[in-house]
Amino acid sequence: MKTIRKVLALVLALCIVLALAACGGKPTEESKAPVDPTKGPDATQTEQQPEGPAAASEISVWVYPVGGWGEESKVKPLIDKFTADTGIKVNMEWLSYEGGDDKVNAAITGGNAPDVIMEGPERLVANWGVNGHMVDLADMIDDTDRQEILPAALAAGTSTDGKVYLYPMFNVAHCMAVNYTAVKEAGAEANIDLETRLWTVEQFDATVKALYEKFGGTVAAVYCKGQGGDQGTRELIRNRYGTKLTNAEHTAYTWNTPEVINALTDLKNMDGIAFDASLAGGDEIAKFYQGVLKMAFCWNAAQQLDPNAAGTGEGKTLSGDEIVYMTFPTQEGKAPEEGSGVWGLGIFDSGDEGRIAAAKQFIKYMCDSEHCAEAGDISNFFSCRSMAEGTEIKSNNPLLVEYYSKMMPYMGEYYQITTGWAGARTEWWNMLQEVGAGNDIAETVAAHEAAANAAAG
Amino acid sequence: MANPAKPMSRALQRREDVAGYLFMLPSLIFFVGFVVIPMFICIGYSFTDANMNSKTNPTTFIALQNFIKLWGDKTFLAALRNTFVIVLVSVPAVCAFSLWVSSVIYKLHSAALSAFRCIFYLPVVTGSVAVTVVWKWMYDNYNGIFNYVLTKTGLIEQNINWLGDEKFALWCIILILFTTSVGQPIVLYVSALGNVDQTLIEAAQVDGATDFQVFWKVKWPQMMPTTLYILVITTINSFQCFALIQLLTEGGSGTNTVMFYIYRTAFKLTEQQGHFGYANAMGVVLAIFIGILSAIQFKLGKEK
Repeated sequence: MKTIRKVLALVLALCIVLALAACGGKPTEESKAPVDPTKGPDATQTEQQPEGPAAASEISVWVYPVGGWGEESKVKPLIDKFTADTGIKVNMEWLSYEGGDDKVNAAITGGNAPDVIMEGPERLVANWGVNGHMVDLADMIDDTDRQEILPAALAAGTSTDGKVYLYPMFNVAHCMAVNYTAVKEAGAEANIDLETRLWTVEQFDATVKALYEKFGGTVAAVYCKGQGGDQGTRELIRNRYGTKLTNAEHTAYTWNTPEVINALTDLKNMDGIAFDASLAGGDEIAKFYQGVLKMAFCWNAAQQLDPNAAGTGEGKTLSGDEIVYMTFPTQEGKAPEEGSGVWGLGIFDSGDEGRIAAAKQFIKYMCDSEHCAEAGDISNFFSCRSMAEGTEIKSNNPLLVEYYSKMMPYMGEYYQITTGWAGARTEWWNMLQEVGAGNDIAETVAAHEAAANAAAG
Repeated sequence: MANPAKPMSRALQRREDVAGYLFMLPSLIFFVGFVVIPMFICIGYSFTDANMNSKTNPTTFIALQNFIKLWGDKTFLAALRNTFVIVLVSVPAVCAFSLWVSSVIYKLHSAALSAFRCIFYLPVVTGSVAVTVVWKWMYDNYNGIFNYVLTKTGLIEQNINWLGDEKFALWCIILILFTTSVGQPIVLYVSALGNVDQTLIEAAQVDGATDFQVFWKVKWPQMMPTTLYILVITTINSFQCFALIQLLTEGGSGTNTVMFYIYRTAFKLTEQQGHFGYANAMGVVLAIFIGILSAIQFKLGKEK
């Protein structure tokens, strides 16, 4: 009996020690996967890496689902190529927009942030960057890079004090889409200019009316369940009477304008348009793809290439209806301002010079080398630079070429770096929900603009 | 006369004590490490403006400012109201329904009893995400089964936006919470009813007690410990309603709860000054409310 107790006590003690050991601590250098000595980091460092500390042999890269970069099967070959070329093992992790922020914020708080992250300037610059979590990448951008990178994208990746927290990778103009087959069935195709993809508010309203009369129900949804895909509702509303939602300095929100209030009033009173608090951007795309909704406000080139990421062919709904992308409608004679989407890579400041050096090598490889075109192609968006190390960066996909010529000239400024952006997004969808519930529109807009500005400080 | 048991020697007693504590130790380590210490950290942070960006905004002690701010925060007050609605509706409903179901099924044949227990327990063991996704489909505004049935039967003319309309959303959440909460109380009540002393029931019946009197005067007092446990657990679960809100409405359509607001403040609104401290203050207030309600339940249970 005594022996059994002793053995049990010993086993329990061992369990505790092992459990505690398992709970804490980062992997040591010794525990990491061995690196092929023939392809060690030093071999490529002279070519890929600016002078500095020796790069670590392993880095972690977290990726938000930015276009095709959200699909592991598309990204993995390029990552494998990077590892083969540099000897740096990459631990990839794919985040979702629903839970990604929680995971990253928890990791930052716990001191376990990844080395590299892919997302847009609203997170990398306006949030994590200005709050001291990111590495300044200014030393990676020389005069040639400044000539080759789209100035607007570089500006979006740079904080007001001149620090580059996001190395621009690709961009796209967010637009809207219509079910062209349904529009033709409703006899409203005269409102759709397939050549320019531009339309006026009057044409948009007439199309909604025709679709509503033909099919009934909800033609399009001003989705407001959460912040997912909120660029669509923002661009729809601000383009209707042509206004900006922030000031030019990106320090305050300017929603409480007659243009915004009138646009919301028009949409609220329009048959066929529903303010739907049960849908977020992704849900809206799914409903559009299923043919339930006849218009989508959360659209871009990647969606046009592969609607709802369903793999059922470009520009088609589930039932094979033709999808046509369009600019957001504006008043007669006014050019639209499409939503600006910019994405790139940033480095979390781990304080470990070796890991930072390896992370910079990763960014150089993906954003400023002959592999830049491949990285851009994966995204289904457009590279932020025209050339990279002597290689011209250009998409050969006919749909993307057409989209580039028709939509990209209308891409608006990147205002998502305005102070207090996360809080403002929350105010935006809450505002739409209250408008949808029938609250006084002017009062609602004023209250939520004030709250957004208060949060922005 | 039987010999009284020989008292244990002190050495043997000590050895038994040590063995007992050793068996408790693993649980104790995890309880202290993951419950007690974080609880004190939470209380400590609630008096500060702690935030994720401590590099640029160092944490400072701000005394009771977070707690004062809470009572002027309309979002928090709305979340608190919603939380209380959930608790006040779901706790009595869960207890009453599970008591009714168990009193109906506990005398059934063992196979039928097991089948019922499985049916009611299924939502408990099924992952909350899976359950929520199925409910989300059923509630769907455009092609959900509820709208389909109601419109086809002519009960409604237009689809109802169950999760997008303030009039319905919170009640939809409560319904799901109800279905996922009744499983365990039913199993516990069936067990408690089976353990009621039959001799007391028979004696009461011989004395001419009605069925209601037998239940109220004989069975109910014997089930009181079970009822108390069910009340406390259901209250705590209802106060901490989070996953349903996150997966279905993200706190919109008038469904924000304190738990969800804590999460949102802590992990989403990270640009907000002192967001960790503020979220911790909410957590402390929620814990106080749960503590008060549980204490009242214990007190009433003991009196009964």
